[in-house]
Amino acid sequence: MPNDLAFLGTAFALVCIGLYCVTHKNMIRILLGIEMILNAGNLVLVYFSSYRLSLGVVDPLGQSLSFLSIILGGCILAVGLALVVNAFKHFKSVDVEKLRRLKW
Amino acid sequence: MVMSIEMLFLFSPFIVVLAGLLSERFNINNLRESVAILLSVFNVYSIYLIYNLVQNSSTKIILFTLGGYPPLGACFEIDMLGVFMAFSATFLGLLATIYSVSYMSHDTRKTEYYTLLNSLVIGMVGVAFAGDFLTFFGFWELMGIASYVLVAFRKESWGPIEAGFKYMVMGAVGSTLLLFGIGLVYGMAGTVNFAQISLVLKNQPFSYWIGLILIVFTVGFGVKSAIVPMHTWLPDAHPEAPSPISAMLSGILIEIGLFGLIRVLYLFFDSSLFMMPFAFLAIITMTVGNIMALRQDDLKRMLAYSSIAQIGYMLIGVSTGLEYGLLGTFLHIFNHLLMKGVAFLAAGNIIHQTGLRDINKLSGVGRMMPYTTISISIALLGLGGVPGTSGFISKFILLSSPLYSGLPILTLLGVLNATFSMAYYLRVIITLLSGKTVEGSEIKEAPLLMIIVPLLMSFLILVLGIFPEISIDYASKASKTLIEGLSNYIGVIF
Repeated sequence: MPNDLAFLGTAFALVCIGLYCVTHKNMIRILLGIEMILNAGNLVLVYFSSYRLSLGVVDPLGQSLSFLSIILGGCILAVGLALVVNAFKHFKSVDVEKLRRLKW
Repeated sequence: MVMSIEMLFLFSPFIVVLAGLLSERFNINNLRESVAILLSVFNVYSIYLIYNLVQNSSTKIILFTLGGYPPLGACFEIDMLGVFMAFSATFLGLLATIYSVSYMSHDTRKTEYYTLLNSLVIGMVGVAFAGDFLTFFGFWELMGIASYVLVAFRKESWGPIEAGFKYMVMGAVGSTLLLFGIGLVYGMAGTVNFAQISLVLKNQPFSYWIGLILIVFTVGFGVKSAIVPMHTWLPDAHPEAPSPISAMLSGILIEIGLFGLIRVLYLFFDSSLFMMPFAFLAIITMTVGNIMALRQDDLKRMLAYSSIAQIGYMLIGVSTGLEYGLLGTFLHIFNHLLMKGVAFLAAGNIIHQTGLRDINKLSGVGRMMPYTTISISIALLGLGGVPGTSGFISKFILLSSPLYSGLPILTLLGVLNATFSMAYYLRVIITLLSGKTVEGSEIKEAPLLMIIVPLLMSFLILVLGIFPEISIDYASKASKTLIEGLSNYIGVIF
């Protein structure tokens, strides 16, 4: 299928961009990177659920899993943003370079 | 079978919230704590009932469907392996809850604490019971989110926040990569049910897609179970969390990550595919863990690195692809739960009473806290693998298993590592018992509840070291489901 390349390529690109964002210094950008990898997973699930049209309808399984993951992604982001707020209170910055007080 | 009454314990976090709100609203002392302990006991009892159900069924597997029959609709597919992991999780959850009553007595926001602790346990049980990726992923995230918040629970100081943020970022990247892997598997097999995926993927010839799925799953689960290149969150998160939570994280959470990895590997892939990579991962995990643990002065940080080393030993069993090796892995999961649980709880006693975490400053403290010292000594000797403790039995099985899979180099390196690890375990015992105490300091033994729980667990370590048949029998039932029982596992669905 010609669509394969477009959709899977986009998903892989999203994973790569997300991983690149996670290595960045800004905490908000890290959270956005996490969200991007999550959406890559969602894209793959939704794309493959339209792949099997044997019954004339799209497979609801992949779509329900992607709904679940959107909700859970929101929960992760909420926890992450709460941690960013608390980190800002302690470190007066959203720069992860400041979070180096614990030894590795 | 549709859901039965035994699965009601999955809703126990809601009851903890209600009890906590009631006790805050009407100022009833200890209501929240007693309800939390009662519900933990109820969790363990429910797992026992489910164990009976599984043992009495003809296939040794029971299937609970949640709306619709597979492949449409989520399901719990409970085999002995799931019961084993769920029992470990609820058992340690019960002990950690009892310990927390005393340890967290001066903290605020206790309703949140007990709710999250219970959600963590329920999340792990759900992961252990899940029969498809829909259920698995939901409970996986429940467990993950509860643990992120619990690590950063004492948000008044900067340490937990920093550790929690690191853990959150790494854990979230791991679980989102896991979702990506689930998407790829779904594309290949057209379903998310474990048994049906196993039927499609297991017999396929190697292709780049299968390699990619293997890598993505290894990274996704490896972050949670702290396999070495992905381990950097662990030595920060474990020391900064409250001690009962450290015990939970080290005792069972990283092993649940390993459990997910084992289930996926043994169901979806041929064992010749992952033998060599996991043997390599086992070697670097245990070596890095041991070398880094030797360099630490912080007691809890040393125990955290020791957890990484123990994960390395468990990976030896995973890499063999044999039932004997898996028996060692599961036995070591249970024994490590007891030993590391005691070690972290006893370290919590020491920190609670003295406020010190530096091993060098603890000289002579052990003579003032005799019960704590007895329990931590038994636990550390067990972790080092001294005969007479349960750690020896499981380590012996683990380290002898590569001889049967044709990789004797793993045995050699494992034995060297185990010998090497005694250096830092013995250092703690020696410092605690010998050396001068600082003049004028009055250190008392910890409160009663905080002594009883570690003492009980260290007693269990000794009992299971002398009579290992009980735990070996239990663990071998768990390991059988992955090799011999695989056709049963698939057969139940169809």
